[in-house]
Amino acid sequence: MRKSFMQSLQIGFMAAASIAILPSMSVAGTYDLTVDRVIIDTGDFQKEGIGYNGKSPGPVLRFKEGEDVTINVTNNLDESTSIHWHGLILPFQMDGVPKISFPGIEPGENFTYKFPIIQSGTYWFHSHSGFQEPDGAYGSIVIEPEKRDPFRFDKDYVVQFTDTHPHSGKRIFRNLKMSADYYNRQQQTLGDFFSDVRKNGLKATIDDRMAWGDMRMMKTDIEDVQGFTPLINGKGPEQNWTGLFEPKERIRLRLVNSSAMTYFDVCIPGLKMTVVAADGNNVQPVTVDELRLGVAETYDVIVRPMDDKAYTIFGASMGRTAYARATLAPREGMVAEIPEMTKAPLLTMADMGMDHGNMAGMDHSNMKGMDHSSMKGMDHSNMKGMDHSNMKGMEQEKDSFYANGSGLVPTAANGGKFLSYADLKAQKPLYEDREATREIELRLTGNMERYIWSINGVKYEDADPIVLQYGERVRFKFVNETMMTHPMHLHGMWSILDVGAGKWDPAKHTISVAPGTTVYSETEVDAPGQWAFHCHLSFHMDAGMFRKIFVEGGPKSASLNPSEQGVLQ
Amino acid sequence: METGIGTENMKIKRTFLSGVAGATLTAVLALSSAIAFAAGNHHGSHGEKSVIGISGNAADVTRTIEIKMGDNFYEPEEISIKKGETVRFKIINTGEFVHEFNIGTAAMHAAHQEEMMMMVEHGVLEVDKINRDMMKMDMGNGKTMEHNDPNSVLLEPKETAEIVWKFTDDAELEFACNVPGHYASGMMGEVHFE
Repeated sequence: MRKSFMQSLQIGFMAAASIAILPSMSVAGTYDLTVDRVIIDTGDFQKEGIGYNGKSPGPVLRFKEGEDVTINVTNNLDESTSIHWHGLILPFQMDGVPKISFPGIEPGENFTYKFPIIQSGTYWFHSHSGFQEPDGAYGSIVIEPEKRDPFRFDKDYVVQFTDTHPHSGKRIFRNLKMSADYYNRQQQTLGDFFSDVRKNGLKATIDDRMAWGDMRMMKTDIEDVQGFTPLINGKGPEQNWTGLFEPKERIRLRLVNSSAMTYFDVCIPGLKMTVVAADGNNVQPVTVDELRLGVAETYDVIVRPMDDKAYTIFGASMGRTAYARATLAPREGMVAEIPEMTKAPLLTMADMGMDHGNMAGMDHSNMKGMDHSSMKGMDHSNMKGMDHSNMKGMEQEKDSFYANGSGLVPTAANGGKFLSYADLKAQKPLYEDREATREIELRLTGNMERYIWSINGVKYEDADPIVLQYGERVRFKFVNETMMTHPMHLHGMWSILDVGAGKWDPAKHTISVAPGTTVYSETEVDAPGQWAFHCHLSFHMDAGMFRKIFVEGGPKSASLNPSEQGVLQ
Repeated sequence: METGIGTENMKIKRTFLSGVAGATLTAVLALSSAIAFAAGNHHGSHGEKSVIGISGNAADVTRTIEIKMGDNFYEPEEISIKKGETVRFKIINTGEFVHEFNIGTAAMHAAHQEEMMMMVEHGVLEVDKINRDMMKMDMGNGKTMEHNDPNSVLLEPKETAEIVWKFTDDAELEFACNVPGHYASGMMGEVHFE
């Protein structure tokens, strides 16, 4: 039954693909991937994890735009698996999400993915089953453009960031469910309390702690899973992955964040980075000193070291609990200084969506989701006294993608330019700019104490799918009512991030929404079928911040009939 | 596609001789009058000026080189020149963004990139538009953001222009687009001397 269903899907897909094939298209590549139990050695510890072709991270798959790829996947695990091609535009049956795209790949079985490559740039792939991704099941994808690349570089390297934890994903999730702050080692201590009393007075300090306690939140709730070792291309800071260059060469670094939970602030002391692509799509080049690489995002940067010396690629985790380190050097074995991490940020009331200085700008309709009963206990007269120490630093540069007064606003370690989403402008827009046909509000919600993460207060298992009509352009309004940053990933279709640049708004696959902010993205609904839409923090996704998207209508060959829906559910 | 030749672009060749903003002119006169400026490089660094060559006479032109400016690259990306040769560059912006064609040394380009960044910050330069009327604005100290030096042109999409240039020295030269981010992402070409 299942077999014949898959066959019919394949036939349907092949029919769709053959229509799309251009006469000039002749490239076809076959790739083999095995899904294996592997040993991951971070330098700090060894653990058993999951990898591809015997390694984690898996290989860099190099495709060419216009190519028809066939990827044979063999599951050598004793559990079901899947591979999702993160950011690739393809028929939904090939998207690799169990129960949405296909049933999954059972132990010992093979699955053949076949799809045309209709884009170029830097992407990645990972398992979409259980906690295999946090356990190491990821690799990267580089797609060479059909036409000439608009940017010039002599070399390119994938620089894949991951956060490898000594615990298995399953165990981490169990512990988080038991106690949400299980892995938060940065809780404020009694010592902090007394130093705050000295600074702010006893009443203000007690009120501060009680206010945060009422919200079941902590100012240090920036990374809810700490204790990991950041890796770059599978190498820990001591193992030091090294990319070689000759002075004056232009090097394209394809930064990929395949971490389960960790954002990285990336810089290369001594080098400017010119950002040329975000989430695979070219952007108008912008030169920066540092950038924040959200979970699941990719950025391509070009650097040009002029001197015969080594440079450190440095990625401090957003909560500053650990750093990734690699090296660019003219010769193997050369190293550069490893910078100190800058001070760990603390969340402010602004990150709670409670920026009292900016209440006028607040959308009060969004406050429904807040627990008013717990807010009554707050002494608003004392809130002015809160967190002024953190707010001073925030005056320098406004970034509209952070709440006004947010503790998370990034600043470059060298005082220079830090990339903002507002800097991202499409090099060549993928779609005509047009008015959205409707808006869908998605409040990002959660109950930290019970480690439930949800959308509009409803977790995935209790939610209906979001139904979109083929051909419409939908405007998603993300309202982050939690104190954590959520990288929202829509499968199968682009998310055109509203940076206020009109037709130059960039198309991304992952939209990071900071606490206390409202962010908009628009999607041209041009891919029939059913798709996943979720927070890409692995444990938030599994805790329920996830929706199924159902696209109604569209080309016949790819649409579902009711009986097929039944099987897929 | 000659339609796009703005009077501005034609003027670029003339302004050098026929008078630019007062302060700039003074600066020019302070140097040898035959020596050209890097576009917008009003800060000095006199030493390297002479190496890039000078505005040439049309009568001395031995050949025409067509340079297409795409997003964000040149075609061709390298040119071969004989020392002392006078070349007519026919420059076409085939892209959708503003691009520059500027002959200079790497150091001159680096300095000019900062000025171009200022032009963007002041709204003179948009991604696909040049607000030429704003260029004449006095920025203080008599400086303007006029982009009128003979070794460069700044073109909107579909515009074309010509530069007649005499390569007096076989220095290490590049032609480059100093619009923010463009040079850094590789929009430059090499000048090789035969």
